[in-house]
Amino acid sequence: MCKKVLSFTICFLLFVASQSFGDDIESRLKAFEETLRTQGETIKEQQKIIQELKAKLDVTKKEVATQAELTKSEAQALAEKTPAEDKSWKFTGLFGGSNLANPNISLVLDTFGYYSNIKQRELPKRGIPGLTNEGLTNSKGFNIDSAELGLYAPIDPYFNLYATIPITEDGIELEEAYFLTTSLPYGLQVKGGKFKSGFGRINGQHKHVWDFADLPLVYRAFIEGEGITEKGVQLTYLPELPFYTLLGIEVLQGENATLFGPDARSGPHAFTAFAKSSLDIGDNSTILFGPSVITGSTRTTTVADNTEFQGTSTLFDWEMTCKWKPSKTQSFTLQSEYLYRDQKGDLTNTVTSLSGPLKRAQDGFYIQSMYQLDRWRIGVRYDRLDLFKKDFILSGTQNNFGSNPWRATAAVDFNPSEFSRLRLQYNYDRSAGGNRVNNEVFLEAIFGIGAHGAHAF
Amino acid sequence: MKMKKYLFAVLIVLLAATPALAQVKVVATLPFIGSLAKEIGKDRIDVVTLIKPSQDPHFAEAKPSMILAARKADIIMYNGLDLEIGYLPRIIESSSNPKIQPGKIGNFDCSQFVSVIEKPVAIDRSMGDVHPLGNPHYVFSPANILKVAEGMTGILSELDPANAAYFKGNMQAFRARFIEKEKQWRQMSLRGKKFIAYHKLFEYLAREFGFQIVGYVEPKPGIPPSAGYLAELVESMKRSRPDAILASEVNGERESEALGQKTGTRVVILPHDVGNAGVKDWFSLMDKVVESLK
Repeated sequence: MCKKVLSFTICFLLFVASQSFGDDIESRLKAFEETLRTQGETIKEQQKIIQELKAKLDVTKKEVATQAELTKSEAQALAEKTPAEDKSWKFTGLFGGSNLANPNISLVLDTFGYYSNIKQRELPKRGIPGLTNEGLTNSKGFNIDSAELGLYAPIDPYFNLYATIPITEDGIELEEAYFLTTSLPYGLQVKGGKFKSGFGRINGQHKHVWDFADLPLVYRAFIEGEGITEKGVQLTYLPELPFYTLLGIEVLQGENATLFGPDARSGPHAFTAFAKSSLDIGDNSTILFGPSVITGSTRTTTVADNTEFQGTSTLFDWEMTCKWKPSKTQSFTLQSEYLYRDQKGDLTNTVTSLSGPLKRAQDGFYIQSMYQLDRWRIGVRYDRLDLFKKDFILSGTQNNFGSNPWRATAAVDFNPSEFSRLRLQYNYDRSAGGNRVNNEVFLEAIFGIGAHGAHAF
Repeated sequence: MKMKKYLFAVLIVLLAATPALAQVKVVATLPFIGSLAKEIGKDRIDVVTLIKPSQDPHFAEAKPSMILAARKADIIMYNGLDLEIGYLPRIIESSSNPKIQPGKIGNFDCSQFVSVIEKPVAIDRSMGDVHPLGNPHYVFSPANILKVAEGMTGILSELDPANAAYFKGNMQAFRARFIEKEKQWRQMSLRGKKFIAYHKLFEYLAREFGFQIVGYVEPKPGIPPSAGYLAELVESMKRSRPDAILASEVNGERESEALGQKTGTRVVILPHDVGNAGVKDWFSLMDKVVESLK
């Protein structure tokens, strides 16, 4: 009885419920039907797509099958051939890896703190009397030399391309951009564009691989900036001799501010020749030595303030590097360059317009050594100008500029890895004649990211 | 008439300048590569090896003498996988030798025959000096070395077809010796052994001979260990109990000796290439390595 009542009640309740929600259900059903229809359409469309895909797949399958057959027959053909005829070698690019879409890219950040006991406004005026009136450009405190962008890659089987683009606070510079041939016969190689001249030793090095934070005095005295970097062409010849000798000549535009001046003459007017020889002594020692010469027309304002010099300059260089490297954790390098400049022409005072013949024959050298132990290196350097010659003959009279300029340097650097270097350097600088001693301190940090450039000797 | 005589003289000089008996001149970067080439070419090829056995192949410089050797080469054979990236590009480029430029037959990357292991998926230099193309130290991998030797036979035959049969014969002798030697090496029970290594030099060997490298003295490839890292390593070695610490004569000898003393673990200094003490060719290199690991 009880059960009956209960089931009846449930039936009644259901009935009432269906009655009261009848309208709602109808509308829902309609909506449901609508959904079903649209879904049916979607399914139809999808089936269509699937059929299309199936057709495509069949085609691909057929293609793959034919390809497989092809490879089979190719493999058979290859197997039948002797290995000597197999030309399917895998090749590796010059710089390793795969570099089709992008050139090798590197960025080197060179930043340093600078201290000097000389007042900031005196620094730019601190030239080397009788040699150059160009002063020091560093700011006391924080300096950014540059973030130097390097790009390089083979162009095709015949040329490689290199570009060095330092980005400084003043803007973007094109330091180097040149091509280099790879496929000339007889040991010949041509370089063209804008590049660091093969003259001398440090001249060819980028700033971040220098052993010290600054250049030797001889470079400051005779060459402007970070060395002779010029537009032009270079030809080198590497003969098959029993020992390494590289011979090179260059035709350059001749725009180095100190050596030639920017507008001495139209057209290329600087010419370079150099020879570099090298011998190995045992497994661990190598020496590299050779002469260089650069000559050209000159028109500069760097002889002294308020003057203009017009004439010809010839700069000679003798380089010598000895390196002892018994293991990766230890090495010792001794390096020296002797430079001699011969200059003839007329010096004009730009204020009085008076002019007289000037003959300068001056020289200088540096010697430096680095000792490396594990990740540390210590270096010392001695600089000296007017070593054997200090001719400054203006209108037949020798001018004297006081004591011979010299400088002594000590540095220590720590290299956490191949790509980072921290350097502390001290200079005792007596290059400004009778003027005050300049005590300079550099705290430099150099970091490189990106492509791994190969190390030159 | 005079002109003709002059031309003739020039021709004679030019002819005299070309060597009559031109042997293939091979320049090998690493000693084991030079040694393998010599196995195939014997006295019918000239081999110059650039890197000395006492040098670490990761850290060499492009010495002018190497550039000169490359200038004179018919073929340059190198390890590849970017092991020589720090100097080889400069040597090849400065050699002014069109024969050995990339893409030419004289540019011979031995790793083309190698099944490379440890190819990283994504790396940057915060992980140390990781080789982006995979582990380049396949010198200790018998399976791969055999393939490299075969590849060398092919290329030498191509450069000097007159001696192709001779090279093939030498390769057969090499293979016969290889099979016999490999049997000996397989008999040494290295399976299941555990080692600590200084650098990732022995990964190929571990895979082929079934032992394990459970830790490295270098925290990251190319980065020397700090005191803190070494302390951690000493702790972990107490748990892992390795059979020995492996280092090579140019790679981590000092650091490994120190660690060995601290933990009382045996230190094994392995030759890293042909030309190290008592290692005259690749077989004796493998002999010595396998023997030392026993």
